[in-house]
Amino acid sequence: MSLFNTDKDFNVISNMIPARSSVIDVGCGDGSLLKYLDKNKNINGRGLEIDQDKIRECLAKGISVIQGDADIDLADYPDKSFDYSILTYTLQATKRPKKVLEELVRISNKAIVSFPNFGYWKIRMHLLINGTMPISNELSYSWYETPNLHFCTIFDFIDLCEKTNIKIENKVNLKRHLIQDYKQKSWVDNCFSESGMFLISKK
Amino acid sequence: MNENKIIELGSNKDPLVLDCGKSIGPIKTAYTTYGELNSSKSNAILICHALTGDQYVASEHPITKKDGWWSLLIGPGKSIDTDKYFIICPNVIGGCMGSSGPNEINPESGKEYGLDFPVITIADMVKAQKLLIDSLGIEKLFSVIGGSMGGMLVLEWLSKFPSYVFSAIPIATTTSHSAQNIALNELARQAIMADPEWKSGSYNDQNTKPIKGLSVARMAAHISYLSEQSLHEKFGRNLQDKNNIEFSFDADFQVESYLRHQGFKFVDRFDANSYLYITRAMDYFDLKSSNNGSLLEAFKNTNAHILCASFTSDWLYPTSENKVIIKAFNALGLNVSFVEIDTDNGHDSFLLNEPEFFETIEGFLDATYKKL
Repeated sequence: MSLFNTDKDFNVISNMIPARSSVIDVGCGDGSLLKYLDKNKNINGRGLEIDQDKIRECLAKGISVIQGDADIDLADYPDKSFDYSILTYTLQATKRPKKVLEELVRISNKAIVSFPNFGYWKIRMHLLINGTMPISNELSYSWYETPNLHFCTIFDFIDLCEKTNIKIENKVNLKRHLIQDYKQKSWVDNCFSESGMFLISKK
Repeated sequence: MNENKIIELGSNKDPLVLDCGKSIGPIKTAYTTYGELNSSKSNAILICHALTGDQYVASEHPITKKDGWWSLLIGPGKSIDTDKYFIICPNVIGGCMGSSGPNEINPESGKEYGLDFPVITIADMVKAQKLLIDSLGIEKLFSVIGGSMGGMLVLEWLSKFPSYVFSAIPIATTTSHSAQNIALNELARQAIMADPEWKSGSYNDQNTKPIKGLSVARMAAHISYLSEQSLHEKFGRNLQDKNNIEFSFDADFQVESYLRHQGFKFVDRFDANSYLYITRAMDYFDLKSSNNGSLLEAFKNTNAHILCASFTSDWLYPTSENKVIIKAFNALGLNVSFVEIDTDNGHDSFLLNEPEFFETIEGFLDATYKKL
C-alpha cells in the first residue's frame, strides 16, 4: 500500500509516542518508520514482518525484526510487552482483524492503528456510478488479486472498538496532521477522510 | 596464521569439573583462528561447530583436503569477513581432532581413554571454550555463531556466560532434543556398538575400527540432514550406472550409492567413540530443565543482540523448535531477530550456499558491529 510513506505521516506517529518508549511495528516493512522513530524519539523498537527481503533490509539497518504473521505470531508476546504497538495500513489485510486489534492492546499499553477508509466519498461514488469494486491510486488492486480481505469504514472501526474491549483515545486528522481527542463518531470524518488513524488501548 | 593450534588449559590441581562429577585437567583444546584480534579485543567471533564438524571452519581439512566447512561464509571479504573480524573455532571436547576426547591418551593409564573418557555435556564443552577465550584475554566476544549442535553451544554461552556475549546467532537448533531426535541418535549409537570391531570402545588398542557401524550411523544421520524434496530432486528413483534393477542387494539406486559413499568417506575423518560421546551430550542438553523448568530463567541475564535463523525444509530442528527460543527471548524483551529461510535443502542448508542466509548474517553483523 502506498497510502502511508511520507515524512509528515511518520511525524504524526512520532508525535504520539513519548521518547524512549518501547515500540513494536507490526508489518514493519523495510523498517523505515522504526528507524525514523529511533532517530527522533530514541525508541526501543522491534519489527514484525512477513517478507524475507524486507527483513534483510531491517537487519542491515540494525533493526530487530521477527519474521512472522500478525494473525498468528502476536500470540507469542506476553501482556504489556511494549509501550506502543503500531499497525499501519495492514488491518485490512489480516485474516481476523478483531483478534489482531485485541492482541495489539494486549501486548502494548497503547496501539496506533491506521487503515484505508472505505466510507470515503470517492469510494462511495465509484461504487455508485461504476458499479464495480473501487480502484484508486491508494487501493490499486483488482478485487480478484487484492491482499486486502477486510475493508472497513471509520464508522465500522469505531463500532468494532465499542463492541470489544477497546477504548479509542485519540483520532488523527491525517489531512492536517492533527492529533485530536476522540469524542464521538463524526459523519464528516467518515465521508471525507481517505484513511483513519486511531490511538487505542484496552478498556 | 590459520594453522591448527593446540592449547592445554587448567591442570591436575585445577581441573575442569564436568557435569557428571568427574574432572579433567589439564584439558586440551585444538583450535584455529583467522584474521587479527584488534587492540581493544572487541572484534572476536567464536564459531561453534556441529556434531561432526571441527576446527577447520575456513581452511583446508588435513584429512579430506577439502575447504573448511563454512569457507563459503567465512573469509576475506566474505559475509563473515576475516579482514574485519577475528575468528576463533575450537574443536569441542569429546571431539576427535585434537581436543580432549575418547581417542586421546589418558594420562593415568598411558592408553587411549576409549569409554573411560567421562560422559560430557554441551555445558562442559562451553566451559572448555570459555577457558580458551580467557586464555586469549578476550572479555567480550563480539559474536558467538553456530548451527545445529553449534546453536546449542551458542544458547549455552548466552545462558552461562551472558556478560561475555555481545551478539549471538543460533541457527537451526533447539533448547532440547525431542524424542525423535534422541531416537535417531540412539539408532546411530546402536549401529556403532553393534559392529563387532567396536570392541566395547577399545578398538584402537586392538588395531581395528568399527568402520561399518560408524558408516551406517552416518548414513542414518545424513538422511535426517536432507529433506524429502531434495532427495527426490537429486536422485528420484534413478538407478546407479545401470539400466535395470538387478534383483540383488547391491546399490541399484543412486540414493543407495550416495549414502554408502557418505558413510564410507566419513569414517576416514571421524572417530566412533567421539560420535557416541557427542550425540549423548546433545541428547542430554535441556536448557529448560537445567534452569528450574524455565527458559526465561535460562536467559534472564543476557542482553545480547540475537539473530535466530531456521530453514523451511529442516525437519530435524524445525522452525517450531526455533520459535520456542524466540518466544523466550521475546518474553524477556531482548533485541532478537528471527528469519526463516525458504529452501528445499533441509537441515544441511546452513552449511550450503544459501545467498539469502549469508546476506542476512552479513547485514546483522555489520549493523550490530556499529553498536559496539
